[in-house]
Amino acid sequence: MSSSRRGFLQAASAGGAVVGIAGFSALSHVLAPLLDGPSDGLAPFPAPQDPAVDEATHVLNRLSFGPRPNDRAAIQSLGPRAWIEQQLAPESIDDAWTDARLRHFEALDAWPLGELLEYNAKELLDQLTRAKLLRAVHSRRQLHEVMVDFWSDHFNIDPSKGDSKWLKPADDKRVIRAHALGRFRDLVKASALSPAMLWYLDGRVNRRASPQEKPNENYARELLELHTLGVRGGYSQADVMEAARCLSGWTVRAREDSRFAVGRVAFQPDLHDDGPKTLLGATLPAGLGEADLDRLLDLVCQHPATAQHLAHKLCCRFIADDPPLAAVAAVAEAFTASSGDLRQTLRALFATPEFWAARGNKIKRPFHFAVACLRATAARTDAGPALQNYLLRLGHAPFQYPSPDGYPEEAAPWMATLLWRWKFALEFASGYLPGTRCDLPRLERAAGGPAALAAHFLGRQPTPPERQAMTASGQSVALLLASPAFQTF
Amino acid sequence: MPPALTTFLDGQQDSSGTLVVIFLRGGADGLNLVVPHGDDGYYRARPNLGIRRENLLELDGFFGLNPLLAPLYPWWQSGQLTLVHGTGSEDETRSHFAAQDFMERGGLAAGGWLGRFLRVRPDAGQSPLTAVAIGPQLPESLRGAPSCAAIQSLDDFGLGDHLPPNFLPQLAALYQTAPGLLAPAAHSALAALQRIDALRQTAAAPASRATYGPDDFSVGLRQVARLIKGQVGLQAATLDLNGWDSHITQASLLASPLQRLAQGLHAFASDLGPATLARTPIVVLTEFGRRVAENSASGTDHGRGSALFILGGGLPHTGKVQANWADLASSPLVGPGDLPVTTNYRDVLAPALRRLAPAIDLRKVFPGHAWAG
Repeated sequence: MSSSRRGFLQAASAGGAVVGIAGFSALSHVLAPLLDGPSDGLAPFPAPQDPAVDEATHVLNRLSFGPRPNDRAAIQSLGPRAWIEQQLAPESIDDAWTDARLRHFEALDAWPLGELLEYNAKELLDQLTRAKLLRAVHSRRQLHEVMVDFWSDHFNIDPSKGDSKWLKPADDKRVIRAHALGRFRDLVKASALSPAMLWYLDGRVNRRASPQEKPNENYARELLELHTLGVRGGYSQADVMEAARCLSGWTVRAREDSRFAVGRVAFQPDLHDDGPKTLLGATLPAGLGEADLDRLLDLVCQHPATAQHLAHKLCCRFIADDPPLAAVAAVAEAFTASSGDLRQTLRALFATPEFWAARGNKIKRPFHFAVACLRATAARTDAGPALQNYLLRLGHAPFQYPSPDGYPEEAAPWMATLLWRWKFALEFASGYLPGTRCDLPRLERAAGGPAALAAHFLGRQPTPPERQAMTASGQSVALLLASPAFQTF
Repeated sequence: MPPALTTFLDGQQDSSGTLVVIFLRGGADGLNLVVPHGDDGYYRARPNLGIRRENLLELDGFFGLNPLLAPLYPWWQSGQLTLVHGTGSEDETRSHFAAQDFMERGGLAAGGWLGRFLRVRPDAGQSPLTAVAIGPQLPESLRGAPSCAAIQSLDDFGLGDHLPPNFLPQLAALYQTAPGLLAPAAHSALAALQRIDALRQTAAAPASRATYGPDDFSVGLRQVARLIKGQVGLQAATLDLNGWDSHITQASLLASPLQRLAQGLHAFASDLGPATLARTPIVVLTEFGRRVAENSASGTDHGRGSALFILGGGLPHTGKVQANWADLASSPLVGPGDLPVTTNYRDVLAPALRRLAPAIDLRKVFPGHAWAG
């Protein structure tokens, strides 16, 4: 209670400072790391006592990008289940400090979309990436950030294609962030009509001006294969073509045509194939026009394969790479029963015994790993070139995955990244990562000594080999961050 | 549980070869690199810049090699140099920026073609050091690679200067008993580190038959050769060679880049040795060629089709420059008088990519491309 008031006051003053220098982004990048967050005060905090990962740590591991020093105490006083409920309602969590800190990324709020074209595309990617990193490190709405990360891969757009390079910030804000914990049907529709997506998967050129013209299937295929039913969802090539016909005529105004109203999405009735359609066992009469879109989205979102596909993917993220069938079934059932309400779906997932039982069996993806290092040490970062360069070397730079399937979730494709993880851990813990700093002596005092600090990093008491290794290594914090246990969650 | 990961660096050799991509930035004049001496139209269009047949190195009775590229000639004679003329992309802007972007991305696609190649090949992501770009930054072609680093020297690999002496042995001990995929993955990473360390500690002597020049291009190639020979798991490397935008006094302007290109490649191929070269395709690309007719300043302006080289890679050799040639005087040139692109550069790359990764789905590397043949 008193700490939240103190947090609010700090947030207000930090916000003032950031607003005061808005526009001078070079300067604010210098100043921003100096502004402490509300929970970065490094007051003494309790480290885990158990030899195995306890419930509080497990929940933090799975629903956040890793525990910060004070997180475990907060979750224990509230109770893990109540904390999960809080995270499922991000709007109830005060995150003013993070918002204030992001305010100088003004491009991310640009409106109308034409404003985005005033920016250099590289600057936009940089702002998007910094904002994502800073939110992952500092936001108190951690589950929301984790789900934003999840949907950013599920509806992946690599903005290097066409106008997407200017339009992706709007997709991030108005599609992914807006609906990350909302209704799946709303998320899919927002994505279908997202200017960046219409560019990325060629929806903008899916048209039928003459009877000979064939629709462009690119988006329709990914809608079925990746976004909804899944590759084994039981649809046919004919279904893909019929879905593409439903979507024909939607387009987005291109930059090369005109700067005026660029990025505006429009339905062009004369380019829509308005004949009758048959897909997924249903028949759509002729003449529905733009209503074909809603009929199509109803069909695919309500299809049982979609519930199964999403339940499987969510269980992969939150339970195990090869998730137990019982958990997948329970989550799919909740998805169906709630008509795709993502909070209800996740609530069901977090209630499965499999979720509580599966601890430390997942491998952190590189972004998760790097952010977890920063969170665990209460580090301050400018999220600038040095940190971003590491994500590139680790093969996990945000918004840079080329194909529509998004960065993989399972461990195997990431197993070649250990070398760069170790180098990151060493460089970061030794204080040589430009733009990122942590105060390790202070952190160790707050934890109550080196053994307690080790327990904080590992989420449990260190094993005898771990104790021995950290003492003998010559750089105990780097060793712990590079250790096998810290790669898991 | 997912299937066990086989360690990438076990055995005496990397499991697959390395693709080396050299980009000649600025639009290299293919007509004066690989000269169509059998075409009178060439000499009529280039009264000053045309290279006379007696000065060329004979390739196949119709084309000859620029004499400044002489160090490459033995590789042609031994059947290890593939030359293709009239190549390029479908980009018609004649803008360096747009044409380079187009070629490096592979059209209107997300990411770079090389990044996609590394991402979709069946063994993607198994090497600790997948790709390097020699230079200060990554080229567009490598966008989206599973792991890539722009490096200036070998010291950028390895764990750096802040490594306490006991750190790695302690870390290795922890990983030995790690569950699942972590133990074999650490084994690979440690093997890569050992090999990089060995590279650093051995005097950087290239094979005795190779003589690298002191220029940046040769120095970069030498680093790449060390990585390849050190078997650290490198799957791709990119280098740039600048200075090809020859609007004025082309003959003197291009002398230096031509010599650097040929000497660098000759030293590099010699350094690798025949067995390694056969699984190391070295691709030389440029964004576009130059106008057929020389301009009033003894230079050439931005054109379309150019020449493309592939050295090594174990590709079949016909003894002929590959080209769909129609004589320059009577055949329709494109735009303001440019050699047309008769062979898309993707079709030239395809055999080299298939040799490196036989199971590759090239439709994912070059989406939307209508393949020749």
